[in-house]
Amino acid sequence: MMQAMLRAAFPPALPPGRARPFPFPWRDRAGRFSWLKAATFALLLAPGAWVAWLAAADGLGPEPWKDGLREIGLWAIRLLLLTLAVTPFARLLAWPRLATLRRMIGLGALGYALLHLAMYAANENFRLLHIAGEIALRFYLTIGFVALLAMAALGWTSTDGWVRALGRRWKRLHLLIWPIAALGVFHFFLQSPKSGLWEAVLAAGLLLWLAFWRLLPAGWRANPLALLALAPAAALGAALVEYAWYALGTNLPAAMILAANLDVGFELRPAVWAGLVALAVPAVACLRKIMD
Amino acid sequence: MFIRKRRGWEIPESRVTPEHLVFGRRAALGGLALGGAMALANPAPAAEEAFNPGLRNMRYRPGRDVTAERNATTYNNYYEFGTDKGIYRAAERLPLRPWTVQVDGLVDRPREYAIDDLLQAMPIEERVYRLRCVEAWSMVVPWSGFPLKALLDAVGPQSGAKYVRFETAALRGVMPGLRQSWYPWPYVEGCTLEEAANDLSFMVVGAYGKKLLPQNGAPLRVHQPWKYGFKAGKSLVRITLTAERPKSFWEAIQPQEYGFWANINPEVSHPRWSQASERVLGTGERVPTQLFNGYGEFVADLYAGLQQERLWA
Repeated sequence: MMQAMLRAAFPPALPPGRARPFPFPWRDRAGRFSWLKAATFALLLAPGAWVAWLAAADGLGPEPWKDGLREIGLWAIRLLLLTLAVTPFARLLAWPRLATLRRMIGLGALGYALLHLAMYAANENFRLLHIAGEIALRFYLTIGFVALLAMAALGWTSTDGWVRALGRRWKRLHLLIWPIAALGVFHFFLQSPKSGLWEAVLAAGLLLWLAFWRLLPAGWRANPLALLALAPAAALGAALVEYAWYALGTNLPAAMILAANLDVGFELRPAVWAGLVALAVPAVACLRKIMD
Repeated sequence: MFIRKRRGWEIPESRVTPEHLVFGRRAALGGLALGGAMALANPAPAAEEAFNPGLRNMRYRPGRDVTAERNATTYNNYYEFGTDKGIYRAAERLPLRPWTVQVDGLVDRPREYAIDDLLQAMPIEERVYRLRCVEAWSMVVPWSGFPLKALLDAVGPQSGAKYVRFETAALRGVMPGLRQSWYPWPYVEGCTLEEAANDLSFMVVGAYGKKLLPQNGAPLRVHQPWKYGFKAGKSLVRITLTAERPKSFWEAIQPQEYGFWANINPEVSHPRWSQASERVLGTGERVPTQLFNGYGEFVADLYAGLQQERLWA
């Protein structure tokens, strides 16, 4: 077992002459420089660089570790959602090369999630016993940690070698991304100190949209009407998640919060935003069709 | 055996500040001359000059460095102005004058104070307190203000009064957070009359030798440093003595996480995180949290016989 794992992770060198160039993230599969991949790689590093710059410039406030680790965790969730969005966008934009970016974005999400854990440990002064205790005791940490472990397993098995070695089981294994994303968003909900769930609700709405799209029969996935119908479904789903959260976890009048989704005069609630983002999808898909 | 426990204000002679530092006459005069010249060049607003921060009360020693003013004034929870910590700019819109504070309920002499009359009537002093937030961060601030006891004495609590209720301003025009209508505005906090009469209970009107800023709860807030920070209601407009225990803002929202007493105890975790230690703002340090935030010698006897109450959250 161990040998198989190692063989898959570190495939034997090819005979000389056919040597494969090192798979730097800016190279395509043939080993050529790819602007698309290079740009994606740079964009993936940008949020981390931004947070590092803020930290260096004393811009993270008086609790730099806590604020920094939140920001990095936020990017882990965002990139995880983006990973899941690659397939629908490659399909709807009729741009199959997009799909070649999925692994890199997914590994980016894993990188930010690992950094998030490392920064949590730093914020707890690397008291490892205490940290292990907290992860075991606090439910939101437990589920975050479980999600991270599963994500690391997916990252480990993301190499070509593992794809070959696992064959059809690879796809089944990597369906774990869905429960991981759900746990990640749940963790996002639970960690907010007192309230302020704005982006967590938005993330729930977007994740629901991504899941709904995959539940569509294959023939409908590019159908503008079906895509149009997904927007209110995602918005309603996010609103219901938010309602359930407040109704079960707090004494706040959850019905009022649900109703506030309809009052767009003051602010657009996150569920409404999820719906608007989802509405952009059929618009973009239509535009793409017109361009052809 | 004779065991002598030192009270908080009893400090060894060796820690007394040398006289030349206290009465640094030449340096002070030099500073005065410089300050005077600067004042001529750039006259400060009259309100700045009028504020009297009071003499520092040396009974309560923080045992830590004072938090940088920038941190204490830019990292604030004030949900009326927004749910993140960077509300200080939004809070600038809070109109601080005219401001009246109604003191009513079960008192002999209910009264509506104009804030400046209240400042005139009360004995202003400075106290350096530790503030421990329920979110496991803390700061040390030199507050100016007066003991809540002085205000209670002025209005005369009646025998039926058991609790004090503090009500924060709810100004729709300037507080965008109130548009989140599902929160139980106004922000209400409370404590028992005994707690309010304890010398540590402080009504804050200034910080860092200046008038209090809106984000810190101007023009008047309560601060009981042995309780989590959310108990320290800001921008008070009404103080009511009642017979019934008031239901506080966070208790109304999430009673399983935030209770009425909310005394600080490192051994009682928040349902979602440990309270055993705290980050001291701006220092990068994490220090162990103390029972009653280290003020046990002044307040622990308030809770004798109250063990059946949920004192710690």
